[in-house]
Amino acid sequence: MTKEERLKKRHRAEKRFRFYGLTSIFVALLFVVILVQNIFSKGSSAFKKTIITTEVFFDQELLEIQNGASQEEIMEADFYDTMIENLIKAYPAKNRDEEDELLKLFSGDAEIEIKKAFLNDNNLIGKTITLDLTASDDIDQLHKGNYPRDLPEERRRISDFQLVIYDYFVENKKISKNFNNYFFNNGDSRDPELAGIGGALVGSFYSILICLLLAFPVAVLASIYLEEFAPKNKITDFIEININNLAAVPSIVYGLLALQILLATIQLPRSTPLVAGITLALMTLPRIIIPCRASLKAVPPSIREGALAVGASKFQSVFHHVVPLALPGTLSGTIIGLAQALGETAPLILIGMVAFVVDIPSSPIDPSSSLPVQVYLWSESAERGFVEKTSATIMMLLSFLIVMNFIAVYLRQKFEKRWN
Amino acid sequence: MSNIKIKSKNLNVYYGDKQALFDVNLDLNEKEVTALIGPSGCGKSTFIRCINRMNDVIDICKVTGNIEMDGININDKDLDVVSLRERVGMVFQKPNPFPKSIYDNISYGPKIHGKGETKSELDQIVENSLKKSALWEEVKDRLDEPGTSLSGGQQQRLCIARAISVNPEVILMDEPCSALDPIATAKIEELIDELKKTYTIVIVTHSMAQAVRVSQKTGFFHLGKLIEVGKTEKIFKNPDNKMTQDYITGRFG
Repeated sequence: MTKEERLKKRHRAEKRFRFYGLTSIFVALLFVVILVQNIFSKGSSAFKKTIITTEVFFDQELLEIQNGASQEEIMEADFYDTMIENLIKAYPAKNRDEEDELLKLFSGDAEIEIKKAFLNDNNLIGKTITLDLTASDDIDQLHKGNYPRDLPEERRRISDFQLVIYDYFVENKKISKNFNNYFFNNGDSRDPELAGIGGALVGSFYSILICLLLAFPVAVLASIYLEEFAPKNKITDFIEININNLAAVPSIVYGLLALQILLATIQLPRSTPLVAGITLALMTLPRIIIPCRASLKAVPPSIREGALAVGASKFQSVFHHVVPLALPGTLSGTIIGLAQALGETAPLILIGMVAFVVDIPSSPIDPSSSLPVQVYLWSESAERGFVEKTSATIMMLLSFLIVMNFIAVYLRQKFEKRWN
Repeated sequence: MSNIKIKSKNLNVYYGDKQALFDVNLDLNEKEVTALIGPSGCGKSTFIRCINRMNDVIDICKVTGNIEMDGININDKDLDVVSLRERVGMVFQKPNPFPKSIYDNISYGPKIHGKGETKSELDQIVENSLKKSALWEEVKDRLDEPGTSLSGGQQQRLCIARAISVNPEVILMDEPCSALDPIATAKIEELIDELKKTYTIVIVTHSMAQAVRVSQKTGFFHLGKLIEVGKTEKIFKNPDNKMTQDYITGRFG
């Protein structure tokens, strides 16, 4: 082989490598785009809900309360008849069957929505107001274009007559979409149009908070001790190996551990953020210790020596100099550990967080769901409305993770000292 | 004849199985500069790190023998290293200012030793230390800037100021100029000349010229043994030992 041939071969090899590299980046990006596009196209509609503008007349005979009634009286009053009487007037139905079909176009919370309107203004007896009532899941999906209306009637959940009413609503501009506050404020529900991630958000928040409160101090102190104070001997090595191994243990194992110890032995309340937080803290602990130790190790020994040489004690040199310098790395490691914990599903399923919880937890010892578990629950549900809810929940989860990772990267870039 | 400040007696140092110093007996005179020369890995740095017990940091390091400072053995297990290091300052090979402001770099030592109770006392200590290390004029208007923003030579003088700030009796310098350019080196050497009026100084150096310029006494180490020690003039003009002769004339090392 001549010198030129060898040179050409080398250039070709470089070009090939460049090509491989660019191709893999392109493929990776393509998958990300497909994933994001898929989630967005399915999920973005969940942030809007379909509402039917309806006139509601408050008839004293049906309500059996007076104008200016107290809160308690209103709460106890029966709004069911008021609801029925008003809703059936939304469309000129001819008989009882048609009325029933008409009523099914409204969500199961129509009565509560009417009652809330009355709670806001208890002077409505004898008056007619216009209310935006939430539409049922079927109409919601139909209106968002997620439901095919050209199927034969027996394969549709919406009857031909209901389609006629729907078209009548559209023609008279009685149906529209607005911001879906239920999605953020409500807990889980069997009715997709009423289901929300409010409970899961609060549950995840409590879980991560408990995880942070438990894991962060323990992890930081353990790392400082191991890195700065522990004698370098076999026991320390053994502990280090085991911490690394624990970081690689599948998360479901922690779920089993929690099931056995926290639920069966200690008898902590199941399905609660308390147990979830402890479980996630166990799982996150080694995952925080590792980056913490790395950032402590990255502080050059010359800083420690400099401090010792002016007469600082070991403790002072560590806490005055090494720890502050390692703090950005420590914090970003912690945030990334928490982000992992936030997305963790398997251990939470084992400790019973898959339970169907309608109420939004008011404390960490109330039964609750969490964001990833809510995704899992809804993805299993048959109703079409849960498809968009699932994707929208994933969007929320992903945006939390992106924000957390961004903070972690920012902390590292901005505050970490680089040593040359 | 000057007083002996530090006296090492049969000093042996081991790093694990490896012996780094063999029976070193070396006297350091008060308010004098003692230069330690010798090829890399001969134990010069190990020796000076025994004087402020910096070797304690290394787990596998074991030191036997005595080092007496003002007649008290400082290689005593019960001795408080913190107060020892208050009396024996150190300047390292590579400038290692704390990544804090110039002011904080210098005030740190006095603070942890409870010197300079008030802000004005601390200000005074910082100013004096910087003046003694000939840095005051260059940095007096930017004491809030990070110490790491200074040039290499300034950083090293900052480290010297940091060592001075706790008012030590002895200053150990481990190749303080090896990372500096000739101009910065000249400044440090000038400074050493000035400092020896107040402090006992030990300097490890790889530069024969530097040893001649700054020191009154020179010790030559080879493979962990102190081969020869004497007045600098004598060591460089008329050494007793053949090995010293070979080293200073550049025949090995």
